[in-house]
Amino acid sequence: MIAIDAVSKEFETKGGRRHLAIDDIGLAVADGEFVSILGPSGCGKSTLLYIVGGFVPPSRGSVTVGGKPVTGPGPDRGPVFQEFALFPWKTVLGNVMYGLQQQGVGRTQARERARALLAMVHLEGYESFYPKELSGGMKQRVAIARTLAYRPSILLMDEPFGALDAHTRTRLQNDLTEIWERDRKTVLFVTHSVEEAVFLSDRVVVMTRSPGRIKEIVTIDLPRPRDRVTLLLERRYQDHVVAIERMMDAQE
Amino acid sequence: MTRLPGIPGLAPLVAFAGLLAGWEVAARGIGIDGLPPASRALAEVPGILADPESLINIGASLYRMALGFALGVAVAVPVGLMMGRSRHVAAFFNPLLMVIYPVPKAALMPIIMLWLGVGDASKTLVIFLGVSLPVVYHSYQGGRAVEEKMLWSAAAMGMGAPARLLRIVLPAALPEILVGCRTGLVLALITMVTSEMIARQSGVGNILFNSLDMAQYDTVYAMIVIIGVLGLALDAAFERLRAALVGWAEPSQALMVGTT
Ligand SMILES: Nc1ncnc2c1ncn2[C@@H]1O[C@H](COP(=O)(O)OP(=O)(O)OP(=O)(O)O)[C@@H](O)[C@H]1O
Ligand SMILES: [Mg+2]
Repeated sequence: MIAIDAVSKEFETKGGRRHLAIDDIGLAVADGEFVSILGPSGCGKSTLLYIVGGFVPPSRGSVTVGGKPVTGPGPDRGPVFQEFALFPWKTVLGNVMYGLQQQGVGRTQARERARALLAMVHLEGYESFYPKELSGGMKQRVAIARTLAYRPSILLMDEPFGALDAHTRTRLQNDLTEIWERDRKTVLFVTHSVEEAVFLSDRVVVMTRSPGRIKEIVTIDLPRPRDRVTLLLERRYQDHVVAIERMMDAQE
Repeated sequence: MTRLPGIPGLAPLVAFAGLLAGWEVAARGIGIDGLPPASRALAEVPGILADPESLINIGASLYRMALGFALGVAVAVPVGLMMGRSRHVAAFFNPLLMVIYPVPKAALMPIIMLWLGVGDASKTLVIFLGVSLPVVYHSYQGGRAVEEKMLWSAAAMGMGAPARLLRIVLPAALPEILVGCRTGLVLALITMVTSEMIARQSGVGNILFNSLDMAQYDTVYAMIVIIGVLGLALDAAFERLRAALVGWAEPSQALMVGTT
């Protein structure tokens, strides 16, 4: 379980002023729960994810994962960054194998698992490409495979489908729900797309404009496994999307 | 770089031919001892390269240059990378480098000779200093520019901070480090020659300036040609190494040689 308790983050800006990025966030995410975070640009979604990842310390408050306070990054929490952050000197295969080898998994075994993951994100045949030879969407898929490879129990995904075309995006959303319904990882998922959030999540957290606070948490009571086409026709799905869109509009 | 169509490497050849032709014409037109025509200087080159003594001198120069370069890179890369990753390390080294930077390294030669004599040690140290600065500077820039999320990704995989410096920062900064090394290589050649000009004992610089004293201008120019070709060959070899090492990176910027 992830317990975010009264977390605030203040940044020191260049001019010596303080900038409150997120303010008093409290959120508990159960094991195996899929929670999406929606909010206007700059409201602190990434910052919140970094704090849970242990990459950035909170200014106030605390985060515990499985009862243990977060003091730094760890392989139990796998990030997928908005910026991909692939290792450019490694091939696609090397990138996906990296975390596994870091954990002491043997070469052959790591390669096998990496290949399977690359197939899952539809990148077979690109194993020996370097990141600079990939499109934005392909990079993003490598980044997702790289993180899934070392089997973190928690996924921290920061707009992982942001750079994808609509078609790939839909396909990967389907893949992600499939993976999730199989493995039941705990997922914190930042997105700008209301439909995506409703389709994927158990709960959707809507944040306010900067400084980011939690405005509302919506429970998505749609049955699983979810099928996108069926959902589109479902009244409850449409209601959720409309209600959350209204909340977002009220921010502006 | 644009290439003339068809034959690769044709453009530089044309440039060199033009340079030699210009030299030849100018020398014949002016007609002073201090500027012999290209044909006479070039005619000296085979003789120099066939003479065992000059070969020993060239070998000694190259040895000192290689040693100074290797030591410079070995020290400068870790220092630069650590400066790039830690504000405290940068705050410590920056003023130091600012003081050393504008000093022409060869001008330190007489002082260093007081400590270490006129032998290999002094010259190697001067070459080391010449190489270090550009390599430190570029390693620093490269280390600083490493994307934080890349380090975070590695940290999330369970990699500790020292391993990240070696396995993430170093490869990520490698393209920039090699730009510094390339500048460093050219500076090593320059400092090599100047150090031998000041401490005359052996080396290509020694041959060059002794010939100058004895008014053997053909030899002087032949040596300049040899040094120039040496520099070109070293740079070309290094460029191939660089391309092999960082083919994965975006194309790098052109070489800019600073002052000594
Ligand atoms: N390192 C930093 N130093 C200073 N301010 C920062 C830093 N990182 C983030 N901020 C500020 O914190 C706020 C939240 O940033 P954050 O990146 O978390 O927003 P976000 O919700 O992820 O935005 P987006 O949807 O555009 O990705 C912004 O106002 C930003 O200016
Ligand atoms: Mg963000």
